[in-house]
Amino acid sequence: MRSWPAPLAALVAAIVIFLLPGWLGGLHGAFTVIAILAVAAYGLDIVVSDLGEVSLAHTVFFAAGAYATGLLATRLGAGGWVTLAGALLAGLLIALALGIVTLALREFVFSLVTYAATVVAAAIAHNWNLLGGSDGVSGIPTLDLSAGPLRLTAVNDAQLWPLAFLLMLLTLYAVRQFRRSRLGAMAMMVHLNPRLATMSGIDVRRVRLQVFVLSAPFSAAAGWLYAYQRAYVGPDLFETYFLVLMLTAVVLVGRRRLFGPLLGTALVIGQERFLSFGGDINAIILGGALVVALALLPGGLDGLLRRVLARRAPPIPLSETRTATQS
Amino acid sequence: MNLVQQLINGIVLGHAYALIAVGWTVLLGVARLVNFGHGQIYMLAAFVTWWAVAGLGLPYPLAILVAMLAGVLIGLVMQAAMLRLTFRQDLVAIMIVTLGFGHMMRGIAGLVFGGQPQVLETPLSYIDFEIAGAWVTAQDLAVILVSIAAFALLHFGLERGTLGRTARMVAEDPKLAQLAGINVSRVYFAVFAFEGAAVALAAALVAPRTPILTSIGFEEVIVTFVVVVLGGIGSVSGSYLAGLGLGVFTALFGGFVSPAYATTAAFGVLIVVLVLRPSGLALRAGGR
Repeated sequence: MRSWPAPLAALVAAIVIFLLPGWLGGLHGAFTVIAILAVAAYGLDIVVSDLGEVSLAHTVFFAAGAYATGLLATRLGAGGWVTLAGALLAGLLIALALGIVTLALREFVFSLVTYAATVVAAAIAHNWNLLGGSDGVSGIPTLDLSAGPLRLTAVNDAQLWPLAFLLMLLTLYAVRQFRRSRLGAMAMMVHLNPRLATMSGIDVRRVRLQVFVLSAPFSAAAGWLYAYQRAYVGPDLFETYFLVLMLTAVVLVGRRRLFGPLLGTALVIGQERFLSFGGDINAIILGGALVVALALLPGGLDGLLRRVLARRAPPIPLSETRTATQS
Repeated sequence: MNLVQQLINGIVLGHAYALIAVGWTVLLGVARLVNFGHGQIYMLAAFVTWWAVAGLGLPYPLAILVAMLAGVLIGLVMQAAMLRLTFRQDLVAIMIVTLGFGHMMRGIAGLVFGGQPQVLETPLSYIDFEIAGAWVTAQDLAVILVSIAAFALLHFGLERGTLGRTARMVAEDPKLAQLAGINVSRVYFAVFAFEGAAVALAAALVAPRTPILTSIGFEEVIVTFVVVVLGGIGSVSGSYLAGLGLGVFTALFGGFVSPAYATTAAFGVLIVVLVLRPSGLALRAGGR
């Protein structure tokens, strides 16, 4: 694993990134979307990279967070904190239910059921009038996080950006802590050697369920902020676009790299925002990136970069273990 | 809506489901591979059939062949990209890659065929029959007959013949099969070409029943999952029965409860089966 850079360097980098959209001339919209979707991708990252299972239901957690926010804000007039709690709760409950159902399933059957759950969730969102049906929920008020005397509102992308940035920092910290935690270590063990894990007294099913449920709040929190950013929530959240985007973000740069999903999301959204060729070609590029990252570039872009560097430089013994990418 | 009509609809639908799932059955049972781009191949093949009929003016049977050829081509391209992953039996990566292919195919379909819904009118769909007070078209009968033929062919070709034995040996132990002188990558290519052709055939026959859009294919994927899991993974005759059962269930549910939630109900069946007998779903290489 890459060693964590000195706290000071991290602080400087964080400040630079925070100020970057302003310097670039008001790109707050793109940066906010990148941060939000990266947070959603980190939820999936934990399951794919650490647990070694491919969940295709993280768009459901993402959409559940967005829908809970939209419904609470428009129907009940709830403020930002209440909708955040509602979004997290919605994500957690759905993950718990799905996690219990899929407890005994592994590999492709697990993915199959999670994918089926996504398609069914989309059908429900399209047809259930309580959720707004095909029209979705529009007219979501602006985000208001005021608490007591403190006034905190975000009416546009420039004001949402600090919140998205903060959410991203919190997510990065949480993912880093997770990977250093006991649960994170157990997840890796369950991933790489389930038999050894069982022999070591680890309850494999319990770890799997815990990690799966733990991953949901990330995606749900992203959905929460996304609902405010778009001011609209609809069944389009279940489209494969978000699913493929999250998967690409997770695998493009290299699995189990702390900044991988963030960079991956930035590359994809950056291409769509600043180098767009229209929706259809963008879809081909996104799908193609996913295919190339996995089929042609083992270890993702990070692995490619390392191999190029290793070829140029005289061979230095790499102390790095590459087991994590060889899932 | 009377019961007989719904039952007949269900039988037609069931054969359509079985036909849609047959490629996956072989893919999974025989070669231990998966394809999450299945629904998008269905979508693309439906568009190709429509284009061959409406654009090129080909007769319908020839259009089916064109679509199957396109399916074979897609299957071969996908397998060529994934060959390294296939040899490593990296199912997780294969799943994600096929999802990526699915997304690409959607973009390609949008680019080539546009976002307009198309309706494919076949000569067979104008011919009606009345059976016990219920109506069926010749198109429906064609779906039933082709589906039965495909399953009979598979049953005798794969579960009995040398071809199936070779493929199952590859699925069981690719390295050993290679040592035994089997061209393993050719088997993988053949299986994926079959998957492409089979789903294209299903699309060419089943898609005329509904408007053709770039967004179709998801329902077909769920149906395929349920059929493959319900039928006992990789079992040819099991898939046929599961498809038939699911078709009747969906038709009755759609006719008497709610058509909008038919897919959801099919998923419910899947969940019940998984919870009731999860052990029966362990992935066995080589089918049974």
